[in-house]
Amino acid sequence: MSKPLLRVEDLVTSYGAVRAVDSVTVDVAEGEIHAILGANGAGKTTLLRTISGLLSADSGRVWLDGKDLTRTPAEQHVHHGLAHVPEGGGVIVELTVEENLRLGGLWKRDRAERSAALTEMFDLFPPLWERRSRPASTLSGGERQMLAIGRALMARPRVLLLDEPSLGLAPLVTQRIMRLLRDLRERTGLTVVLVEQNAQSALSVADRGLVLWLGRVVARDTSEQLLADDQMRHAYLGF
Amino acid sequence: MDHFINLTLSGLANGAIYAALALSLIIIYQATRVVNFAQPALALISAYVAYTVTGATGSYWLGFGSALVTGLVLGVLTERLLIRPVHNKSPLSAIVITLGVLLTLQGTAGMIWSNEPHSFGYALDYRGMFSPADAFAVGSVLLVAVLLLALYRWTPLGLRMRAAAFRPEVARMVGVRVGLMLTVGWGIASLVGALGGVLAAPPFLSPNVLDTAFVYGITAAVVGGLDNPFGAIFGGFLLGVSLSYVSSYAGPELVTLAALVILVLVLSVRPDGLFSRPQARKV
Repeated sequence: MSKPLLRVEDLVTSYGAVRAVDSVTVDVAEGEIHAILGANGAGKTTLLRTISGLLSADSGRVWLDGKDLTRTPAEQHVHHGLAHVPEGGGVIVELTVEENLRLGGLWKRDRAERSAALTEMFDLFPPLWERRSRPASTLSGGERQMLAIGRALMARPRVLLLDEPSLGLAPLVTQRIMRLLRDLRERTGLTVVLVEQNAQSALSVADRGLVLWLGRVVARDTSEQLLADDQMRHAYLGF
Repeated sequence: MDHFINLTLSGLANGAIYAALALSLIIIYQATRVVNFAQPALALISAYVAYTVTGATGSYWLGFGSALVTGLVLGVLTERLLIRPVHNKSPLSAIVITLGVLLTLQGTAGMIWSNEPHSFGYALDYRGMFSPADAFAVGSVLLVAVLLLALYRWTPLGLRMRAAAFRPEVARMVGVRVGLMLTVGWGIASLVGALGGVLAAPPFLSPNVLDTAFVYGITAAVVGGLDNPFGAIFGGFLLGVSLSYVSSYAGPELVTLAALVILVLVLSVRPDGLFSRPQARKV
């Protein structure tokens, strides 16, 4: 593998005495979709939140394109090309659809670039254009997830961290989101770290993945290999 | 009929003051869930600075401007030095701190400017019903409200501030410096409070002169709904006009009681205030 774009090195994050993420190392290549799988409480979300600076690591390092982001405050991550869509999307329901989108690009000083990004998002998600002046609270679950992804893309990130995008969504909507991720990667070279409990749908788009169990990596391989490993699937992925 | 109109107009002038004070409380409450009990003291110091500057220069407007700047600076300092250190603790810690600031600053004002009342002028001629001074109070508060609305609705800064207030963590993820937004919010709130203070103080300025006005300000904020700036403004004017009627038709001694009755009536019908949005709360 060429030099990874995102490198997580021996990361440890604890809640009190509990090590939620226990010496986890992940390498994600540029343009890769990398799945982080595991059951509830495996440490997936904690891992993602530590990468994006919302939680501070006890030890270990997070590198993005050779830059050490371990101690960088969360609000700076977007400047380095890392965007995070939290579990449930984190759409701000009190704001309109358009305000939610604009928010994602606000850190850029260039106005023209911001409005170009907005137009692009509306092209990418036509339903959001139709509802642009409505409060985000009026959107369906699938539309909210689109909005959340759109808001993250407004920042034109190099790496997108996506936490359980399929949560609470109908299988068809989940499929649409997974297809969208693949299209984005093909068109823009976007790198995606995809946290999912729904291993099957995540592995349907991911190139590679790893499985967390009680904060530790118990398996890492290509998607095909992970899907082919019956023992692994039964023990950790539940299908 | 003339009397009724006059009462309404003078009620609006008082209401403008309550609206400004209510607004100053709500801006902070919305962002942090903290009721800023220090607000009367911040406004008080601002009014004393206006008194000193006006006394030294002879210009009311220089005093007025310096009061607003003082309000802004005091709000920023209070947030950065006293509130920020307890940011991750329960809102109760911050509320207790604001009470401490209130007592300290009121005492300090007495030490610097003495507890004796000083005469403190109106912006414009205050004689007659709905005098120029009354019109100035209503006009300036409405202007500030419109400017605030424009700031929050149509500027990137306002969007950042709203995001930081509604979902601080999500705001951080998209690059908003939430701490800075809180500081800006405290500064703006305290500036609006200083405006209310300068309008409420005349004709005399003393360390406790703003207490009653702030009790009405809090009442207006609760009546309007603590989550809604429009509610604060409406609540302020509603309270001002209602109390003006009560004072004239039922007697000035009943005004405080009437404020309580209005509060209880509104809360028994709409427990979150007139303009609150129904919402789920995390418990």
